[in-house]
Amino acid sequence: MNKLRLIIAREYMSIVGRKSFIIMTLGMPLLFLLIAAVPVGLAYLNDKGSDVQQIAVIDETGRYAAALHSDDMYSFVALKGDTVTNAREFYDKANGSIGAVVIIPRDVDSTGVVNIYSEGTITPSLVSTIRNTLNDTIENAHLAAMGIPNLQEMVEKAHVDIDVRSIKWSEAGEQESSTDAAMGLGFLLSFITYMFVLMYGAMIMNSVIEEKTNRIVEVVVSSCRPFQLMLGKIIGVGLVGLTQMAIWIVLLGIVGTVAGSMFGIGSMSTGTVPPEAMAAAQDSGFMQDVMKQILSINYLPIILNFVLYFIGGYLLYSALFAGLGSAVDQASDASQFTTPVILIMLIAFYAGIACAENPMGPMAVWCSIIPFTSPVVMMVRLPFGVPTWQLVLSIVLLFATALAITWLAARIYRRGILHYGQKASFKDLFKWIK
Amino acid sequence: MPYLDINNVVKRYEGHTALDGVSMQVEQGCIYGLLGPNGAGKSTLIRIINRIIAADAGSVTLNGKEMTDDDIAHIGYLPEERGLYKKMKVGDHIVYLGRLKGMTKADAVASMHWWLDRFDLKEWENKKVENLSKGMQQKVQFIGTVIHRPPLLIFDEPFSGFDPVNAEQLKTEILALRDQGSTILFSTHNMASVEEVCQQITLLNHAKVVLTGSVDEVKQHHKKNIIAVQTADTIEPNPELFTILPPDPAKRQGTLIKLDPGVNVRDAISWLNEHYRLTGFTEVLPSMNEIFIETVKSQKTVENNE
Repeated sequence: MNKLRLIIAREYMSIVGRKSFIIMTLGMPLLFLLIAAVPVGLAYLNDKGSDVQQIAVIDETGRYAAALHSDDMYSFVALKGDTVTNAREFYDKANGSIGAVVIIPRDVDSTGVVNIYSEGTITPSLVSTIRNTLNDTIENAHLAAMGIPNLQEMVEKAHVDIDVRSIKWSEAGEQESSTDAAMGLGFLLSFITYMFVLMYGAMIMNSVIEEKTNRIVEVVVSSCRPFQLMLGKIIGVGLVGLTQMAIWIVLLGIVGTVAGSMFGIGSMSTGTVPPEAMAAAQDSGFMQDVMKQILSINYLPIILNFVLYFIGGYLLYSALFAGLGSAVDQASDASQFTTPVILIMLIAFYAGIACAENPMGPMAVWCSIIPFTSPVVMMVRLPFGVPTWQLVLSIVLLFATALAITWLAARIYRRGILHYGQKASFKDLFKWIK
Repeated sequence: MPYLDINNVVKRYEGHTALDGVSMQVEQGCIYGLLGPNGAGKSTLIRIINRIIAADAGSVTLNGKEMTDDDIAHIGYLPEERGLYKKMKVGDHIVYLGRLKGMTKADAVASMHWWLDRFDLKEWENKKVENLSKGMQQKVQFIGTVIHRPPLLIFDEPFSGFDPVNAEQLKTEILALRDQGSTILFSTHNMASVEEVCQQITLLNHAKVVLTGSVDEVKQHHKKNIIAVQTADTIEPNPELFTILPPDPAKRQGTLIKLDPGVNVRDAISWLNEHYRLTGFTEVLPSMNEIFIETVKSQKTVENNE
């Protein structure tokens, strides 16, 4: 037991003490921020950075050009009485100062076709600006042409946007259930599990291979059991992962608090917002809904189960990675063994996404019971509520399999770490297990 | 009672037998050479003694008791293929290895300082292993093997990778450990070092013991009745007593004569003394290298004839 503790401590310190760990731990959140910020920044640059484009509009009907208002991207200039051939001349004469020519034909009311001409590319945003504006304008013109008083108001009144709310009967009474938030939470937990297992599984494998390449392993196993060394690695790297997660959660907490106090989101969750205010502020009403949903989820069982599945899944896959890592001499040879494992993980991940659509469907149920996919898939199902028998069956299966895999991996490991030279095949691994 | 008693140990792998009923007795306080060509089973036997792998049959007793996992604290093992954690600091690394063998932290630290001092590595204590030269790393490796002062030391090709100066220092340290009472098991191809330091040897070939005994006994047993004779005049062959062998330019020890079967040394020398101006003579014993090659080769011919 003492030796196991020593091995865990060494493994932990060897990773946490590395510069790359510190860079990674602090860099990851920055990278995520960057990934989130880049599209926003690009969009901003797109809006602000580019010059306003002149768009010539030839309105043969003479009625609709006025509806196209210039904005900070496009400046619409109405030309009168020109035909298409003239438009070409006009465009050429303008010598590039005009981006495109829009022609609203005389029969637009019946055909609903509008043409945009240009030598350059016509951007989707120009197309959608023109389409949306003319859609509304022409539709309104049609309604007006029917000559029925107040028709416009009547149509607007008739327009509905159904808001479907799901309410769950539970012991605590009626409870607005939380489909969106539940789904989001499920994805988050499933993604965390997936990332963690892959990242730290690879870390364990590298650590095993490194010891083998260093040739230190024979010295170490002459002082402890190979199984102790393997288990020490799995636990040590697991603790590294937990440390990293804890740091991220703290960072997230700090960023969240700072951002919350800056934008006043923090105050949203407290106090009730009167209906008028909600109608007035659509956005904050939406936030309020999300908050309500987030608060309505019963977290305790979810967190407990998450921890269980997390440990089980991590143990299962990390043992697998450790066993497979022991069979190769260098990291570059490992792919023949890791590819199937990563494939299974990917299947689990996509199954998780698919199961979110139908968390009680047969695929979701099976994938959340099969031990290799259950740690990822069950996370998606958890917030929706899972029958107890399925949970129990799934957890028992997961841990039984994890222990079995650990046992098998240990048998491969004790042979693998001393196997040098000729590349081992899957056949060899089976021989070693026997 | 031998300190380390290996009795009829068998180890089979898929497709081949690595050890086929190997027995070996190592007395306390001796330096014991475990010899054999590549693939003879030396490393397998050493790993079994270190309890890295388990024997399929047979027993290994240490100090009269069947070995258990706890006994590995009493062994220091320097494998042939060795290495260190490159990113660890020298001092931490040595202490880690010592503690894995069951030392307390304080003992391990004290012992580490003592050994670093002895090997002039004191200023390297807080440097990372990767910053050390190869020779220094080998010394650190050696310290890691002996830090817990084990009564049984197992060295697999200890001199490989050492330059002559460091090899000499290592030899001195090994002899010093023996003098302090450690028993040393020595696996090597380097026959010169066997003759210098080993008292007993066992030669393994094809998973079996083919030769065992003290170095002197083995040499006596393998002697070829060759005498190096120094005379003032040239010796002619005597068909009734001996033949003359071609001279060995490396040794310059006079004329080599091989006695015919059944002729004893005294008769040959007295005959030579009568007929030539004899100035000296020595019996030539085979080197361990010659015995090694001869034994392994003769086994091969036996196998081929079977």
